[in-house]
Amino acid sequence: MNLSKLSVALLARGLLPGLLLGLSATAQAADDPVTLTVLSSTIVEGPEGVAEQAAADAFMEARPHVTIEFIGVPANELYAKTNALAISGSMPDVFINSPEFMAQAHDLGIVADMEETLGADYFQGFAKGPLAQSTIDGEYQFAPWFTIPNTLLYRRDLFEEAGVEPPSDWDEFREVAKTMTVDTDGDGQTDRWGFAMVGTNNGSGAGRFFLVLRAHGADEPVADGDSWTTQFDTPEAVAAFALYGELVADGSVPPGPLQTGYGEAVTLIASDKAAMMITGPHTIGAVLDQNPDMAGKMAGALLPSVEGVEPDVNLGMFGWAVSSDSDEKELAAEYIRFILNRDNQVAWNAATGRLPTRLDALEDPAIARPELEGFIEAAEYGYQVPTATFYPDLFSVAGDAYQAVIIEQKSPEEAAKGAAEQTERLIANNR
Amino acid sequence: MDVPVAASGVRDATRTGTRPRRRRSPVAAARERIGLTFVSPSVLVMLLLVAYPLGYGIYISLFDTNLLNRWDFVGLKFFNESLADPGFRRSLVVTVVYALLVISGHVLVGVTLAVMLASDVKFNTVFRAILILPWLFPEVVVALIFRWIFDPIFGILNHALSMLGMISSQVAWLDDPIWAFVAVVFAAIWKGYPLVMLLSLAGLQSIPKDRYEAAALDGAGRLLQFRYVSLPGLAPILGVAVILEFVWWFKHFTIVWLMTKGGPVDATNVVSIDIYRTAFQSFDFGRAAAMAVIVLFICVAFAIVYRRTVPDEEA
Amino acid sequence: MRSRSSVGGAHPIYYPVLLLACAIVLVPVAWMISTSLKNETELFSDPPLLWPDSPTLGAFVRVFEDYPFADYVTNSLVVVLSATAISLTFSTLAGYGLSRFRFRGRGAFLAFLLLSQMFPSVMLVIPYFKILKTAGLLDSHLGLIITYISFTIPFCTWMMYGYFRSIPKELDEAAAIDGCGAARTFFTVILPLALPGMVATAVYAFITGWNEYLFALILTNSESQKTLPVGIGQLIGQYKIEWNELMAASIYSTIPLMLFFLFLQRYLISSLTAGAVKN
Repeated sequence: MNLSKLSVALLARGLLPGLLLGLSATAQAADDPVTLTVLSSTIVEGPEGVAEQAAADAFMEARPHVTIEFIGVPANELYAKTNALAISGSMPDVFINSPEFMAQAHDLGIVADMEETLGADYFQGFAKGPLAQSTIDGEYQFAPWFTIPNTLLYRRDLFEEAGVEPPSDWDEFREVAKTMTVDTDGDGQTDRWGFAMVGTNNGSGAGRFFLVLRAHGADEPVADGDSWTTQFDTPEAVAAFALYGELVADGSVPPGPLQTGYGEAVTLIASDKAAMMITGPHTIGAVLDQNPDMAGKMAGALLPSVEGVEPDVNLGMFGWAVSSDSDEKELAAEYIRFILNRDNQVAWNAATGRLPTRLDALEDPAIARPELEGFIEAAEYGYQVPTATFYPDLFSVAGDAYQAVIIEQKSPEEAAKGAAEQTERLIANNR
Repeated sequence: MDVPVAASGVRDATRTGTRPRRRRSPVAAARERIGLTFVSPSVLVMLLLVAYPLGYGIYISLFDTNLLNRWDFVGLKFFNESLADPGFRRSLVVTVVYALLVISGHVLVGVTLAVMLASDVKFNTVFRAILILPWLFPEVVVALIFRWIFDPIFGILNHALSMLGMISSQVAWLDDPIWAFVAVVFAAIWKGYPLVMLLSLAGLQSIPKDRYEAAALDGAGRLLQFRYVSLPGLAPILGVAVILEFVWWFKHFTIVWLMTKGGPVDATNVVSIDIYRTAFQSFDFGRAAAMAVIVLFICVAFAIVYRRTVPDEEA
Repeated sequence: MRSRSSVGGAHPIYYPVLLLACAIVLVPVAWMISTSLKNETELFSDPPLLWPDSPTLGAFVRVFEDYPFADYVTNSLVVVLSATAISLTFSTLAGYGLSRFRFRGRGAFLAFLLLSQMFPSVMLVIPYFKILKTAGLLDSHLGLIITYISFTIPFCTWMMYGYFRSIPKELDEAAAIDGCGAARTFFTVILPLALPGMVATAVYAFITGWNEYLFALILTNSESQKTLPVGIGQLIGQYKIEWNELMAASIYSTIPLMLFFLFLQRYLISSLTAGAVKN
């Protein structure tokens, strides 16, 4: 085991790329110019794009005959674009895949045999959590690139001041949220709230709600032989919906939770208006961007979970996949291995706060920053995203429900029942 | 006198194929050729670029497909399921109300402002330049700005209201079903009135001045002049504009999506959001196409009803 | 004689109403401008800052430095100006033909134009993508130009059609009597009178093309071909919005539109009112 780990480390260090370079140089006319197309959403974002381009530039420098051509698409449109490219048969050589998209990618048949392309040994070098989320029927759909484990982000300094520990169960969570809701300047108006709830009706909001749901013991949906059943109407789920309503009713949530999307919640944390948020380590970077004074004040901790329920963490993972009809599969694999090598993974983390997925990088001392500890621990608990084709629809099912509870349009029981009914309809309508 | 303007065009359009054939004189035939010549470039473009996608869109509504390797014929299944889905039906209602409110706002504001700008009011160009601004900004930016303005903590609306002493705590406008709806309607009116204003301005310019003089001689004051000279003169332009406005705002997506995502719950869930989610989040293209075809039928129905009920204005 | 048509002179009540309207327009615009001048820490302050304490033009500079913004602008200019010119030409010709001549399929064409607007465009993206791919026009100026004219022709044609119908046919007849053929009648007699309508149509076509996002996004790949809205859209990341740069970019984006409009808007005056109709 150690030996293969060592060999993996060597591979990642660049030995293999060097070997492959030699091989490919002999296998084809020396220095035939080659273009490798890469579809990426991170390339168009702030610090991410700079880091990604730098890594690609280094790759190109070592291989003068290779040009890396990026197709950059904003993340919100990434899947639509990938779909369009797939449908018209113009997939790039390398593209971003993820647990959210992999069912669709698999359906479209655009993913090459990753194990064959990268080698089964290579996959042994990944951390357990990410690997768990990257397979369909035991086949790898992508090489995990980074994770942003969604768990609890909190203001360590405020907690220490108040003499409070991160909550270990949901009742404590409510209490802590209340404690953290204060009027800091004595003008009679609350100006810091306990919990920045992302209550929008989309993937950001519903994804976080699902974590809370799972932590209460309910899953969504659950495989049932050939089909699925919903757990929205279980008492555990009702408790989760009720919690959302209670947190808002307690006044521990900043006003306007239904419009608080990810960006807004980040702003709340950055402007010292909230003490907790369910999110990943990349948020630390985003907060510091807006308010450098927050440095050192944040930390991560596992979300509380109900007795007997193992924590489930959404990894928010992105990975690299090779396209099934690429003509440059070997070169693509080379590129992927390069991006995932230890140096690049550490550099990526330093620039963006996103966590590496390779074991060798995770052991690097540069990663072990105090604020990332809680997140690294959480990454171990990644769960298999249900590969139901209607899974994305569940976001709005859940969203409708928790929003209705928050604005007191429905009771938790009614909302849960409604969600269950909608889900059952989805299950019936789908293959 | 002249046949009522655009009205007859639409009448012709909704009555295709019923004109009796009659022997064409050489002159008529020549005129027909000339007419076709004028029209042919547009026809070509539209056939190539619109007929195919439209046909394609309608075609895939009959299939359960991911547009690549799965094409299962399902006939009218998606139509039935969508029409039976209370959520979809509700979104249709929301969309119709939204579209009607927005167009009314556009016409009211646009025509009023156009009348004023068509006069010899001072600083005319400055006013025109300012009042056309909302139209120039990208929809995305407008939606985000308005969302920010309505933000409970960081928005200037709450800030202004609390400085005026009108509210005591921060109001979450977009979290309230009614106010969220008002907000997206307001933002849409703000964004879109300049087009109607511009069209009305152009339309007003083409009304011969002597008609106003004649009306004034008959003792008509400003308002009556508007009612009996301006409005009829604007009718052709406005007639087309209203139909197209209805269609556009019925299909509208960006402002509502970015401001409320269709929420809270489903208070502002317009049908285009439904379609977008179905197509690009669930990748259920056949179902999305069926929903789109239903939207198409509704727009067509509106156009027909509109032309039948709205009387033709003509002196 | 004043070549301005007017519904009487300006009534005093016009001024307060216009000023009120301007105020409502300018508040969000002022917020946009103020945001574009703020630095990162001032963006989200409580209470909100109406004007930054330390205004900076940094965002305006960064927009051009950090992104190939000049490329985006050039692409938009080329694509949209071409599309507007072509669309205006086609639709003016078609509008005139539809208003003056009877021919088979006339009604059908008018109906088809309307119909084409009624299908949610989100569903048209994929077929357009396939068409352009087959023609080898993906990621190209020409591909986008063709796409945009297919969007604007329906409305522009209807506009010009309606506008031409309001120009009395007596003028054509008068010209025919004077010995003009159809083309000459069109170009020398009718067209000049249609200027206000053409201006409104051109402005519409230009603005529509300039702000179009979804199709430009899907139909272009390389940075060298992306248009302005796509560039602006990239400032809206999955996790973070670069607010000040976004506003700065939007302001840049508005300037050409404003110039275009200001240049053309003085043609929004018809010489019809100068007595041309009086026989």
